[in-house]
Amino acid sequence: MTGSSSEARLITPTMLGAWLVLATVPLWINAIGLYPYIGVEIVIWSIYALAFNLVLGTSGLPSFGHGAFFGVGAYAFGLTQFNIAANLWVCLAGAILAGAFAGLIVGLLIAHRRGIYFALMTIAFGQIFWTISVKWHSVTGGEDGLLNILRLPATFGVVSFDISDNETLYYFVLAVFAVVVMLLWRLVNSPYGRILSAIRQSETRTAHLGYNVWLYKLSVIVISAGLSGFAGGLFAMAQRSAFPDVMNLAQSGLIVMMTLVGGGLVSFWGPVIGVIIFLIARDVIGAMTNAWALYFGAMFVLLVLFRPEGIAGGAKLLMERWKARREASRVLSSAPRSG
Amino acid sequence: MFDLLPHLLNGLVLGLLLALIALGFMLIIGLMEQINLAHGSLFALGAYFALMLVGPKPPLPADLAAQWLQIPLGWRYGMALIIAPCLAGIVGIAVELCMRRTYGKDPLYGLLLTFGVALVLEEIIRLTWGTRDHVLPVPAGMSGAFLFSDLIWSRYRFYAAGMAAVAIGLVWLLIEKTPYGAMIKAGAHDSEMVRALGVNLSKLRLGVFVLGTMLAAFAGIVVAPIWGIRPHMGVDAVVPAFLIIVLGGIGSFWGAVIASLLVGLAVGISGAYASEWSLLSMYLLLVAVVSIRARGLFGKKSMLEV
Amino acid sequence: MALIEVEGVHVRFGDRVVLEEINLAVNEGELHGIMGPNGAGKTTFFNTLTGSVKPSRGRIRLEGADIAGLGPHAIARKGVARSFQIMTLFNDFTAQENVMVALPAFRARGFDVRRAVAGDSALADEANEVLASVGLGEKAAISAKLLSYGERRALEIAVALAQRPRVLCLDEPTSGLGTDGTTRLAELIAKLKGKLTIVAVEHDMRFLFSLADRISVIHWGQVVARGTPRELQENPWVKRSNLGSFG
Repeated sequence: MTGSSSEARLITPTMLGAWLVLATVPLWINAIGLYPYIGVEIVIWSIYALAFNLVLGTSGLPSFGHGAFFGVGAYAFGLTQFNIAANLWVCLAGAILAGAFAGLIVGLLIAHRRGIYFALMTIAFGQIFWTISVKWHSVTGGEDGLLNILRLPATFGVVSFDISDNETLYYFVLAVFAVVVMLLWRLVNSPYGRILSAIRQSETRTAHLGYNVWLYKLSVIVISAGLSGFAGGLFAMAQRSAFPDVMNLAQSGLIVMMTLVGGGLVSFWGPVIGVIIFLIARDVIGAMTNAWALYFGAMFVLLVLFRPEGIAGGAKLLMERWKARREASRVLSSAPRSG
Repeated sequence: MFDLLPHLLNGLVLGLLLALIALGFMLIIGLMEQINLAHGSLFALGAYFALMLVGPKPPLPADLAAQWLQIPLGWRYGMALIIAPCLAGIVGIAVELCMRRTYGKDPLYGLLLTFGVALVLEEIIRLTWGTRDHVLPVPAGMSGAFLFSDLIWSRYRFYAAGMAAVAIGLVWLLIEKTPYGAMIKAGAHDSEMVRALGVNLSKLRLGVFVLGTMLAAFAGIVVAPIWGIRPHMGVDAVVPAFLIIVLGGIGSFWGAVIASLLVGLAVGISGAYASEWSLLSMYLLLVAVVSIRARGLFGKKSMLEV
Repeated sequence: MALIEVEGVHVRFGDRVVLEEINLAVNEGELHGIMGPNGAGKTTFFNTLTGSVKPSRGRIRLEGADIAGLGPHAIARKGVARSFQIMTLFNDFTAQENVMVALPAFRARGFDVRRAVAGDSALADEANEVLASVGLGEKAAISAKLLSYGERRALEIAVALAQRPRVLCLDEPTSGLGTDGTTRLAELIAKLKGKLTIVAVEHDMRFLFSLADRISVIHWGQVVARGTPRELQENPWVKRSNLGSFG
């Protein structure tokens, strides 16, 4: 929340800056010892994390089963490609619809919940989807996964772009990311977004103001699930396959963790920061030791203990302190004259 | 009908084991109003500690190890049942000291904290004992199989079910028949009152957390010979525990026990018809029950929902 | 016909009867006070009236239409607003935003995702007007959690007023306020009186007796006495409980 002027905008300076920086990634990513594919992963997971944060950060609903929607989208992308049409847009629409539909089913059963019951129910539903993906061999390929998913060309009318290599795929997902960021920024600053935030702060009060809280919660679950499914579809395409493990409890926990590490509870960009840090740390620490989960888990414990508002929250706090100090020194220096 | 008998019995045994796993979890959720996601890892830790004591390679200097292995397996097993939960309890103290900071906050923080703890513990288990499966040896008297009505039954399953039943009974006695139980129950609803009674709430919480941890570890030892010991066993166990708590209703002892038995039977019976899908049956059971009774079978309106 | 008619309302929590046979009628434009000792069921009555507790039996009518059993949001939409004894503000919002989300104009746009809230001057102006009416005109841009206790109490009422209610239910509005704050609040409520139908649960007898048209005393889950402040001063129950020591 950097003042109302940017909230009213469709595209903010921060967005432009972020896109510009991200657009240059393929130019230097190899030079710092990483590789373009991690860029693809970061962008896709950022979309996922932003979608997830709509539920967690904006609406205050602790979902521990969001991997289900991401996974459903991934399978839907592959299955649409194999059975309906091998067209990028159709497949992505399939991923969104499948994710949103899964969200609707889950939402209908849990939207009247809050707090721990909500969290436990999402865990249970996450497990249901995971079990189905593992056991329903004929459709999902079970543990072996759904293989040979193609990176389909992106066609705009007569023009068609081949996005099968990592660099062009990166630019494609980046363009998609830009659109998603724009839409979500508008959404969280719209009346709808405000009401979601009001529900997070006090569900009781919001209901007594005449809002059908249940409907708002259901709708945001569906939107978030659809968008997570979309990210899952992109991920399936990037990986050229879909596996059950993105749906398991640990992976669903990871998205919570990434969102929180970055500071999703206090900042729109928090989830993106979290994803960047997490995925790079995974690669860097993973290259040095097999036990990266140990360090990451420990980091996470410390974060919850000492900086529960995440990195963006910490930055915000520093900013505020700095402002307060400046303010204080201004007051001090002006005091003699006024007194 | 008679064909179902083994499945019913298997289901019942499974139900008792699940109840044992879920109980410690329930105590913690009831008193602290925080979900302990590390419960599964503590469960696994119990099994690994027992493996250390009972297995062929105790972590002792060579001569001591040789002497230790001289002790009959039955004795070592019996000691493991007591020592391993105590060791896990020490880990539990450390976890509780961290978790303290989340009490009274959004349950999200407790969940996330213990999620981190679970990652750490699982990784420590991987580093210490490797990723491969281990087998926990049991005394000869408890292992083996017997024949009953033309079917082969594993003897250990019945011992395990018996141990689970005893532990469940002891927990019931603690909650219902001792002053500690009254405090635990009061604390779950009204921490003010507990303070007013002059009880040190933070000590009570620590005690309950350690008890919950020890129960988890004990469950790990009892279950290990059946499910095997592997780093992932914690997650496999903790998910049904969640389910059972929601199904039975948060904070209800009998809710948890009955829900466990129901889940066990559902898995057992569906195993008779579609073994591939038997795990799904418990989730469907949950969805069915919870859509009718929002707070589970015996749940009351909880502070956690506000 | 009275605006609000409560008939034989029972509320039970498990096996505990909290309200037993409550009957009450509030006329349009009346300020009806509710008093009684702690734990008498006043807040539960309020929760029942505004929809967060469902009565196990009995009827609650608003303009003749039964509203018992409707959810809080449905009752709020019928023009019943409430404040909370334990303050329930949106702490991360500014004072202005707190009021804004309560406006009927905002509610009408609840599912709107096309326009941003910021920069919508019509909403902002309306919200500022409400804030000014409770004396918070200067505090619009301040985050609710940074306001002083008295200001938060005022904001609590502003949020309810922003709903443009026909019936305003105030749950212990003076709770925690000093003499100054209470005086200012009394002035505010005196201004509202007559324009709105107000039901107020209150501990502060001086406050209630000076403002209310009629008062009901709830004890043991029942209405044990009712009447105008003057009538009640003579009431033995009110006299016996030291509550009558005012004036």
